Amino acid sequence: MEFIQKKTADNAAEHFLPRAADKGTKLAWDRFEGQLPECGFCESGLSCRDCLQGPCISNPFRDSNKLGVCGKDKDILAVQSLLRLVLKGTMATLDQVGDFVEGVVAKKAKPRDKSAAERIVCEIEALLKGGGASLKKAFPKSLLAAWEEAGILPQGVARDIFKASQKTEGGVAGAEETLLWAFKAALLGAFARKLQGGLKKAVFGAAPAEIALDMGVLKKETATILLYGRFSPILKAKIAEAAAKKKVAVMGVCTDPLLGPYLFSPVTSYGSQELPLMTGAVDLIVVGDQFVNPSLAAIAAEFSVALVPTETLKDQNPDALAKAIVEKAVNAFGFRRTIVRDIPDAKKSALMGLSAADLNMKKIAAALTGGKLKGIAILAGTNNVKFTQDLPFVTLAQEFLKEGILCLSEGDASVSLAKYGFLDPKQREKHCGAGVAELLKSAGQNLPAVIDLGLAENGGVTEFLLALAAASGKSLRELPVLACFAEANRSAEAGEALSLVAMGVSTYFWPCLPVTGSPKTMEALSKLANSTFGAKLIVHTDKKMEPLAKAGLILKVFNRVADPSAGDRPWTEWKK
Amino acid sequence: MKVLMVDKEKCTGCHQCELWCGTEIASISKELAQAINETPQPVPRVYVEGKPFALQCRHCEEAPCLDACPNGTMRRDPETGLIYVNEPTCIACWMCVMVCPFGIISPSSSLKVAIKCDRCRNMGYPICAEVCPTGALSLVERKDYRKKKF
Repeated sequence: MEFIQKKTADNAAEHFLPRAADKGTKLAWDRFEGQLPECGFCESGLSCRDCLQGPCISNPFRDSNKLGVCGKDKDILAVQSLLRLVLKGTMATLDQVGDFVEGVVAKKAKPRDKSAAERIVCEIEALLKGGGASLKKAFPKSLLAAWEEAGILPQGVARDIFKASQKTEGGVAGAEETLLWAFKAALLGAFARKLQGGLKKAVFGAAPAEIALDMGVLKKETATILLYGRFSPILKAKIAEAAAKKKVAVMGVCTDPLLGPYLFSPVTSYGSQELPLMTGAVDLIVVGDQFVNPSLAAIAAEFSVALVPTETLKDQNPDALAKAIVEKAVNAFGFRRTIVRDIPDAKKSALMGLSAADLNMKKIAAALTGGKLKGIAILAGTNNVKFTQDLPFVTLAQEFLKEGILCLSEGDASVSLAKYGFLDPKQREKHCGAGVAELLKSAGQNLPAVIDLGLAENGGVTEFLLALAAASGKSLRELPVLACFAEANRSAEAGEALSLVAMGVSTYFWPCLPVTGSPKTMEALSKLANSTFGAKLIVHTDKKMEPLAKAGLILKVFNRVADPSAGDRPWTEWKK
Repeated sequence: MKVLMVDKEKCTGCHQCELWCGTEIASISKELAQAINETPQPVPRVYVEGKPFALQCRHCEEAPCLDACPNGTMRRDPETGLIYVNEPTCIACWMCVMVCPFGIISPSSSLKVAIKCDRCRNMGYPICAEVCPTGALSLVERKDYRKKKF
């Protein structure tokens, strides 16, 4: 049992916490405290609700109920808990890809590069049906061979998702085989993310842009629409188009901020997503499903904010829906004029949406292999209420940059870091040690301290890693690259972590995944993954670890000092 | 004297009391993730069995275990009235296990001591009552407990 001491490191968010307490508005942090202690069986992955004979648990302290009714033991229960997360995560990506492809096929958007868009749509369809033969060309042969040998090369939705999902239903696959099914499902997600990134580039372009963010971007005198979560980029573009005509501002929370030619300023990050509604400066919100807390509906009602869901049972025409949304926002702005707009003075600038193409990969690879850089850290994930909001991200970035480690970030982690100026090119020298600053000066134009590789679902990280491997002439398992999910919360992140491990990038993951109930599954995540992919998923069970201690732990690995908690590390291989 | 009251209407049989008693009281590490892997297996002092009902030592006023114990290992705390096992003197004869009408005393063959609930007498509040998600377990005065009609 633990109670969080400090809720957030974000001053703009903290401004609203006493107000919420005064008004009796319950926020995510209050609800979390109400949930404590969280179910220990579910937390350790020792529970199952997959059939109606249950629910079952594997009781670690009693012999009478160690096995579920069907005979699942703690190892199977734990690995299936992970598999369930990964499946849901991959389906989240496929859902987004599906929406996007549907819009492109229905010719609702005019692609910048029509032939590329058509080609990628065909590739996505091939991926869903047969595993995407053409996409395999994008990955190095050594990786493909390892995946093929382990049997985890994606073979389409039916083989990867449907079959893997039935592993939770029954069968005699052991913990290790089930884990490989999870890797298979995770890789399908990684392939889909890569294709979605390509499709976005073909349809909307992919230029990095400097963008203002944090709650200070909200406006006093303009009708404002906030886009929440992930939904069809086609609809987003239509809303922005219609809003521009009526001079309505459109911003976002947990949504892709770059959709050429439109920019949606991120107002805040996931953990404080309820707070922009309390400013009074939001007139209407458009909400998807992914990344959206259901509590938004009640809070929107409390603060008289109009709400439009996008993921409805019946299809809606994006043109008509966008027009209706903008009109509704204008009306809402009219009758909300009496409401005080309390906008915190917090505004930052960030360069977002960089990709391997904008960076001098040869220089980065040379710095890495030549020892000028100690390593590369990928900061990924979303806020998690179990940690002080943003503090783990910020602490890791600060410590890594000081120590000569290049930091990359993606998605919501980028927004969290940008709130503290890590993505502002003007503040680069403030955050970086000399080694990283020197490299950043020459590796690209006007680079900030932390390089944002765009939305996680657009596969920017995969593209960067493949380019890095190509530029250095080494495989990823031989390079000092680590991924750190410092405060993860969504199933898609668990899937992404597994796909990074499959590519040979060792990954630290917080909070602990629901596998801690099974020593065998924990061991498979390090030993089996290490022997198959040359990387491992490191899940720490110490819940009270401070962000600085986490940074110290990872720095030990970067500094080639033995990391006792990780056991036999993948690093020994490139240390020689 | 305060004892644990179990509300059978509220007990859902979720085993959280067992899990956290096993972790906080019975384990060496006091952390769930580590406690799961400990040998010998930690023994929780509360049992959830059969119809959802969490049962632990009743600290009987006429306690048979006190009478059965041949060497004064089973003791009653004169201040609180709680019954506990003085582990260093336990000879593992299991007389208390035989006479307990509720069957809540565990014979630990590996540790060679009798294990039972001492109602967390050295803690501020019993862990099982603290973690119970439905409030089925609560600490009440024995007098009030008796007044309650079931």
